[in-house]
Amino acid sequence: MVRVPVNVLVVDDEKDFVEMFSLRLSEFGERVTGVYSGQEALEALKKDEYIDVVILDIKMPGMDGVETLREIKRHHPLVEVIMLTGHGTVDTAVKGMKLGAFDYLNKPADFKEMKEKLEAARDRKAQHEERIRQAEARSLMRRGGELY
Amino acid sequence: MDDESKIRVLLVDDEADFRRPLAKRLIHRGMEVFEAGGGEEALSSLKELPVNVVVLDVKMPGMDGIQTLEAIRQTDAPVEVILLTGHAAMEDGLAGIKAGAFDYLTKPVNLEHLAQKIRHAADKIAARKAKAREQEFRERMEQQMAATERLAALGTLAAGVAHEINNPLAIIGEAAGFALMLMEKPEAKQLPFYNSLMNALNKIEQNVKRGRTITHQLLSFARGGDDAVVLKETDIVDLIHDVIAMVNREAKGKDVTFEVESTANKVYAWTNPDGIRQVFMNLLTNALFASERGQKIVASVEDGENIIRVEIADSGCGIAKENLDRIFEPFFTTKPPGSGTGLGLFMSRGIIDRLGGSIEVKSKIGCGSTFTIYIPKVSKNAVVREPDKHWLEAAKEIERSNSHGSGAR
Ligand SMILES: Nc1ncnc2c1ncn2[C@@H]1O[C@H](COP(=O)(O)OP(=O)(O)O)[C@@H](O)[C@H]1O
Ligand SMILES: [Mg+2]
Ligand SMILES: [Mg+2]
Repeated sequence: MVRVPVNVLVVDDEKDFVEMFSLRLSEFGERVTGVYSGQEALEALKKDEYIDVVILDIKMPGMDGVETLREIKRHHPLVEVIMLTGHGTVDTAVKGMKLGAFDYLNKPADFKEMKEKLEAARDRKAQHEERIRQAEARSLMRRGGELY
Repeated sequence: MDDESKIRVLLVDDEADFRRPLAKRLIHRGMEVFEAGGGEEALSSLKELPVNVVVLDVKMPGMDGIQTLEAIRQTDAPVEVILLTGHAAMEDGLAGIKAGAFDYLTKPVNLEHLAQKIRHAADKIAARKAKAREQEFRERMEQQMAATERLAALGTLAAGVAHEINNPLAIIGEAAGFALMLMEKPEAKQLPFYNSLMNALNKIEQNVKRGRTITHQLLSFARGGDDAVVLKETDIVDLIHDVIAMVNREAKGKDVTFEVESTANKVYAWTNPDGIRQVFMNLLTNALFASERGQKIVASVEDGENIIRVEIADSGCGIAKENLDRIFEPFFTTKPPGSGTGLGLFMSRGIIDRLGGSIEVKSKIGCGSTFTIYIPKVSKNAVVREPDKHWLEAAKEIERSNSHGSGAR
């Protein structure tokens, strides 16, 4: 079975981190885009409608992770977000989850854990999309029934 | 109390005929009176007897009153001395005051006067003692507060540093991980030094993990500024069983067993389960580390009206007396590098403090240790640390308190 790559957007103000993290994910077979700020993340999402999951650093200058998350969820509710947190606490993560993040990872992250979460996030997005398609199909059929 | 306020007089005079009746009359006034027939005798009695006022005749054969007084002052004995001088021997009295006497009276002595002087002298001693006690108490308090503040500042500083180190650590981890992935390709196997390279990369990866354990522990100490801890209704007994399940495999390997005792099946608190879980985890892993093959660790929970008491007792190696004060300091560990961070107890105390509880330890070398924590049934986040104090601030604070006091710069 061919493994379908996950489309990932990595957002972190640490350029070296984005570079290394992306290289590793691509080597593993995912399709990765890297950007360095919340603003750039929103632009990337606007351009590329195939992005499944955003891996988002919480601590960034300017627009921080939580703010970025809020904006992403507002404009792209189906895109799943995994927060990268430097705080070992659940606090910031809980806040993120309340705002609709899929999950969180402590930085430096464990790669295996990260891959698992990435795939789980992609699967959830796929499920949501499937449900929407079915709902659309049903409403089309209903409308169809009325017409004929 | 009564015993301390009692006036104890040592009456020193070479003439027994003068001494005896005077002693009797002072005893009659409720004082305890000892007698000595000369300077030497007085000095040796002072070593034995709990005297606070010495009444001393100046004119004595051998060692006279002034010499005796000087000798007494040299001993540091906490006594006041009243001199009895001959009639019209004013200079003796003055010399006595210079040498440190409380006062002098001329013979023949008016008993009323003498009794009053003795009481005044005793009052002076009592006041001095009270002052010394107060001073000591104040110093101890100040020391304790300084230690607490230092510890808090140190925690903030350490967390700040950990945060800064976390990012480079993450990059090193990713780079090593990426390099290791490349090394898995068939072409890489042809590389010269392939094994040494793999070994080096694995070392990097392993030690990033080690560093990560430390930074994560430190960071979970410093909570984000505006984020509140999640408080929930929590069954403490259940939580202990949870944590035991997590460490049980390691315990089995060491042949150590756990026992849970509780005054009730379920003991509820409105508290921070994540924090308490972390505390239990730290205490149980410490107990496990200290235990020997075949030993038992007992966790007991006691439900109270406002407070829940949890005791974790092991029969392991125990903690040396000189370490007992230090085990809550960050980075204090007696474990070999790699197996201890010295942050467990520091963090645990931080968590419990913030919930408004407390943590105590009793230990005896060779017999074992018992950690007791008191958890309020309803936590209100009683102690809130200053939100978002930047770690640089904390560093400056430590620097200030260091250059202050110790003249060295
Ligand atoms: N139950 C115990 N028995 C004996 N020593 C203990 C126990 N708990 C803690 N200690 C001592 O306190 C030190 C600090 O503990 P902790 O803060 O948890 O850090 P760490 O476990 O990483 O050393 C330990 O290194 C050990 O010397
Ligand atoms: Mg950042
Ligand atoms: Mg420990």
